[in-house]
Amino acid sequence: MSRQQSINSSQTPTPTTAQSPLSRSLKATGEEVWKRTEKINAELFTLTYGAIVSQLCTDYGRDFVKINEQLYQMGYSIGVRLIEDFLARTALPRCQGMQETSEALSKCAFKVFLNITPRVTNWSSGKDAFSLIIDDNPLSDFVELPMDAMEQLWYSNVLCGVLKGALEMVQLDCDVFFVSDILRGDQQTELRVKLNKILKDEIPIGED
Amino acid sequence: MNGYTTGENGTIPGMTEQHQFQLFEESLRKVNKLVFQMLINEIVPLSMNVQRKLEKSSDDEFNSEMSKLDVNENSNTTNLLKEIVPSDQLIHELAETKDEDKYNKVIDRVRNIGFQVGNKLSELLIFTNNPNLQFKEMDLLLIMKFVCRDVWKQLYGKQIDNLKTNHRGTFYLFDYDYPPIREFCIEENALKKELKLVEPFLEFPVGIIKGVLASLGYPPEQVICLATFVDRPNNDIPDTSFAKGISFHVQITTQNNP
Repeated sequence: MSRQQSINSSQTPTPTTAQSPLSRSLKATGEEVWKRTEKINAELFTLTYGAIVSQLCTDYGRDFVKINEQLYQMGYSIGVRLIEDFLARTALPRCQGMQETSEALSKCAFKVFLNITPRVTNWSSGKDAFSLIIDDNPLSDFVELPMDAMEQLWYSNVLCGVLKGALEMVQLDCDVFFVSDILRGDQQTELRVKLNKILKDEIPIGED
Repeated sequence: MNGYTTGENGTIPGMTEQHQFQLFEESLRKVNKLVFQMLINEIVPLSMNVQRKLEKSSDDEFNSEMSKLDVNENSNTTNLLKEIVPSDQLIHELAETKDEDKYNKVIDRVRNIGFQVGNKLSELLIFTNNPNLQFKEMDLLLIMKFVCRDVWKQLYGKQIDNLKTNHRGTFYLFDYDYPPIREFCIEENALKKELKLVEPFLEFPVGIIKGVLASLGYPPEQVICLATFVDRPNNDIPDTSFAKGISFHVQITTQNNP
C-alpha cells in the first residue's frame, strides 16, 4: 500500500453506498454509550502510554522491532478483554461482512473507548481489507519521536494489538498493522485491517 | 500544553473560581476510563513479559555462541512464530518466582513507569489554575495533601481515604478501595496467595507517589515509599470488591550529609 494511493482515495468520496440505516444507528449507539461512560483526562492517558513506551525503549536498548512486538502483544492482551466490555455496553449483533465490521470499529468502538471516529477508506477489491485513517490519535498527542525511532518505531502499535485481539474474539482472524504514521513524518496515520479468514464457530478459542 | 490558557483572564461575574475550574476540567479532552485502567493494569504482565524476553534473548545469544561450532540452523524458524503469553499466566509466574533478583527487576520496571507518570502528572495538575492548589510555602504536609486529593482524584477518580502523619516526615496514606484492583478476586480461601498475586500492582502507585514528590523537590533517594495491605476499619464496602485496603508508608529523610 503506497502512501500516494492512500492519499488519493481519502480525498475522493469513499465508494461505499451513502449511509445505510445500520451505519447511522451504529453512530448513534457509539455516541449514546460514550455519553454514559466514565471518563478520564486524555492527557493523563497520553502520558501514561508515553511512560510505558519510554520504559520499553530503555529495557530493549532502543531495539524498536522488539518494542513494536511488545506493544502489539500488550494490545492483544487488552483487546481480548476489552471486546467483552464493548459487546456488553453496545449490545451489537454479529456484523454481516467486513463493511459492517469496519463501521462498527470506527463509529462505535473507537468512539466509545477513545472518543475518536477514524475514517474508513482504501477498500481492497475483494472487500476483505480496509484502512482506518486516524486523524487525532490520543495516544500520540504531544509526542515527537527522536530520529532513530522515526524510522522503525510504530508508536501506537498497541492499537493494532487491541484490534487483532478483539476481532479474534468475534471469530475474525485479521492482520492489523500500521501503514503510515504522522509521527514518522507521513501525511496521515493509517491503520490497515486485513481479513485472513473467518474462524469457525465450533472451534473453542481464547481459552484463558 | 494547549488548552491551558482558557478561563484564566475572562472571569465571568457571579461565577466562583471553583465553578470555573470545574467547567474547564470538563472541557478537556477525555477518553474512556476503562481503557486507562486496563492500560495501567497491563503494566505488570508487560514488565514480566519484558523480563522473560530479555532472559530468553540472552540465553539465545549464549546458545548461538555455543552453536557456532555446529552447523545446523533449526533454531531460527521457531522464533518466527511469536507466541503470546496470556497476562494471567505472566502474573502467576511472577508471583511464583523464587528468583528474587528477577522479581525485583520486574518490580523496578513497574515502579519506574509509575515514577514517570507521577513526575509529569504533577506538572499537568499544577498548571491548570486549580484554585485548591497553593504552593507558596512548599510545606510537606501540603504536598502530601496534594497527592491524596488531586493526584488520586485525577488518576482514580477518588481521594485517599485517610492520611496520618507524625509531622516529622512520616506519612501513612490509606486507600481502602484502590480502584485498579477493585475487581480482582480469585478463589475464596486463597487470600494469602491472592495477596501475593496482587502485590506487584501496588508498585505503580508507589512509583506515582515518588514521582510526584520528585517533581516537587524531594528526590527519590530521600523518599522511602512502601505499600502494604491493611484491613479495612469498617466493612461498608461491598463483598464483591477486593477484600483489603492498602497502606502507603511514605518517609522523607531530608538530613543531607555534606
